[in-house]
Amino acid sequence: MDDKTKKSLERVYEEIARYEMYEELINQNPDGLSHLHIPLVQNVLRQHRTTVECISEGKPLVASYFTNAPELYTAMDLHWYCLISQAFGGGGENPHMLEDLEALDDMPLSSDICTLLRLGIYYLDAGLLPRPTAVVPLIEPCDGVVGAHEVLRNHREWRDLPFFAPDPPYYGDERSISYFSNELQRMVDFLEEHTGQKMDYDKLKEVCDETNKQYALWAEYNSLRGSVPCPHGHTLGMACFALCNGAGAGDPEHTKWYNDLIINGEKRIRENDPEVPNQKIRLLWFDVQPIWFANLAPWLEQEWGACVVQDMFGFAPYTPVDTSSIETMLHDLGKRNLLDGPMVRQARGIAANFLTDIENIVNDMQIDCVIVPGHMGHKDGSASISFMRNKCREIGVPFLYIGVDQFDKRYTTVDEVKDRISKFFTSMGLGS
Amino acid sequence: MDTDINSKAFQEFSRTANTIINPEIEKWKENGGQVMGYFCSSFPEELVTAAGLLPFRMRATGSTETDLADACFSSINCSFPRHCFNEALKGSYDFLDGLVVYNSCDSTRRIYDHWIDKLKTPYVQILSIPRKAEDPQVEWCRDEFHNLKKSLENHFKVNITDEKISDAVKLHNETRKLLKQLYQYKKPDNPKVTGAETLAIVVACTAMPKTVCNSLLKELINDLENVPDRGHAGARLMVIGGELDNPGYLEIIEAQGCQVVTDSLCFGTRTFWKTIDESESDPLYALAKYYVQERPSCPRVYGMYEQRSGHVKQMIEEFNVEAVILEKLNFCDPWGFEMFTIKNTFDDWGIPLLMLDRDYPLSGTGQLKTRIQAFLESMGGAS
Repeated sequence: MDDKTKKSLERVYEEIARYEMYEELINQNPDGLSHLHIPLVQNVLRQHRTTVECISEGKPLVASYFTNAPELYTAMDLHWYCLISQAFGGGGENPHMLEDLEALDDMPLSSDICTLLRLGIYYLDAGLLPRPTAVVPLIEPCDGVVGAHEVLRNHREWRDLPFFAPDPPYYGDERSISYFSNELQRMVDFLEEHTGQKMDYDKLKEVCDETNKQYALWAEYNSLRGSVPCPHGHTLGMACFALCNGAGAGDPEHTKWYNDLIINGEKRIRENDPEVPNQKIRLLWFDVQPIWFANLAPWLEQEWGACVVQDMFGFAPYTPVDTSSIETMLHDLGKRNLLDGPMVRQARGIAANFLTDIENIVNDMQIDCVIVPGHMGHKDGSASISFMRNKCREIGVPFLYIGVDQFDKRYTTVDEVKDRISKFFTSMGLGS
Repeated sequence: MDTDINSKAFQEFSRTANTIINPEIEKWKENGGQVMGYFCSSFPEELVTAAGLLPFRMRATGSTETDLADACFSSINCSFPRHCFNEALKGSYDFLDGLVVYNSCDSTRRIYDHWIDKLKTPYVQILSIPRKAEDPQVEWCRDEFHNLKKSLENHFKVNITDEKISDAVKLHNETRKLLKQLYQYKKPDNPKVTGAETLAIVVACTAMPKTVCNSLLKELINDLENVPDRGHAGARLMVIGGELDNPGYLEIIEAQGCQVVTDSLCFGTRTFWKTIDESESDPLYALAKYYVQERPSCPRVYGMYEQRSGHVKQMIEEFNVEAVILEKLNFCDPWGFEMFTIKNTFDDWGIPLLMLDRDYPLSGTGQLKTRIQAFLESMGGAS
């Protein structure tokens, strides 16, 4: 392995070491949730180790995203990694973030565009992305993903690689679903041509049957999160997303995890033993959490008795895939990835898409208040805040918009976020 | 606008570019005509013309505040849609009989949502124009234009035949050819028309009937033959970037001792350098192919950087450009990312590049002057 290749795996190895440490810590200090946390950690380790194996042994590897129908990759026996995953720092505060942001400041990129996507460009520029066989980027739900992937496509390091981007249209009608399904078929053709792997439709049926079960279990679990008190804190709610949408989608081990999650949730409801005690506020956090504030959920729980019952990634109105034919599978995967996947569902298309989610979640989960952190990269979201505020007023829940950079704590500090939330809770009489 | 061009046609273009509503629109309305507003340059205005309506490209000329729109947009949204929507809330676009928005960018597409929520314009539509430019995207776009045609027919009680679309394509192509002809006067060492002047003309052409516009362009081109030598204008620059409809911005640049001899702008050569295929038997397909694949795209389109930079390179060579200015609006994601690749491309080409951020209203002119002067000095001074 040459130095360049070694460097491209540096952060992957670091994350492997970090997750091995998490696994060891959980094993050393087992509690009633260890059996749910361990499989999540092992899943990340398995994915990272497979990435290393692909690079080391010259096996096909794809760089892609969760709403490009991960079932297709599994059915083609193709491993993939998410281009921007290292920004999330392996589940804790990213130890490299400050040095990366400082390096980013020197690059010819506007500071007013999404920091996460700028980081993706930095990772490639700095040689920190494993070189894939092919790239399948996103081009929705925002201008940022189009712009960032056009940069990657033309970057000196990757301009010789094959790229194919499925194009999700702006609408969600049957015509749009058919069009996007056709894009997924073209993506399969592209992957077959450039990776040498073949689509196995029998395997796709198995994978979709399995993710169907997982999505159904996820939906069932979300109905448990609607209980008062909520059986689990934020982490496990958010984790539901990763197993259905990450590399290895359709793994039967994941189905077992969702089952175990439900069993644990039901037990906690039955025994009135919620993971977060003394819950006083049921919160919808409408986005992901700032990665520089890993203790946000614990702080909310301990300081205010506020439980993040739901967020943008934990809500799963997923379409079951009809596995009776190749056509129905591609059609329904198109529908699932166009209309159901987080962010693409809400931010692609008209502003009402945000409002449907907010109203459904607030009503189904007995939410007390909605907080939108307002990431600086989400221009469509920031132009939709007045709609969200009006919707919350209409359905009678307090609403807070903060305004942060989810990836750069220099933009809005932890103290500022705490202060805004505390004043909001106090002024709305929440948590008292 | 300060100008040496002694031409009534130019005066009319200049007046039109300086206001939102203009005498041609007023005349059109007085005669019972209807006006259709649209945002951004991938909209098929030919369909509006074929429907017998007047297409009007949205801008917020003269706007200085966003106090009304601030309730709908935030400070991290680009100032162009904020100013446009502010003007809409003030009533400046009350003359519109309809508006079509497409998913051009994240801030502008939200104008559709706010418009239908806050304003009473009788016809408001949104289009889904693909974000990439392969053949299935042309087919999608053709269907999208077909649906728009049907929608216009239903609402405005008109019949838009293929023949009418073909006629409209010819009419709009004539505008494109005349604008291209106009730009030939910018090629000599001593150009007969400045960058600010051509920007005013291109902007004006989006706000008046194309028949009038074509007639004025012919008159202007004739007048330019008699324009005396305007003297050596300094370094030959090109301006590239996104939405820029204020000729005053280019006036300030040119006042520093240089000449903007060509551009790749949303109100610029990207809209007219190529023409629509008039021989295609399905005019809707010809429109879709043009707007998706053939015209130089803006960075909202994935996979077309080579085409965009190819257009810039062609302009540089044809117009003997010495240096390039990239202007972008603050909080513009498409150009904010594109500038990374542009910077690398210009490094490879060895052509000086200055990247400037700006807000929609003309502001910070002192800083702008200083940066242009420093840039020209770094090139060896205004020649």
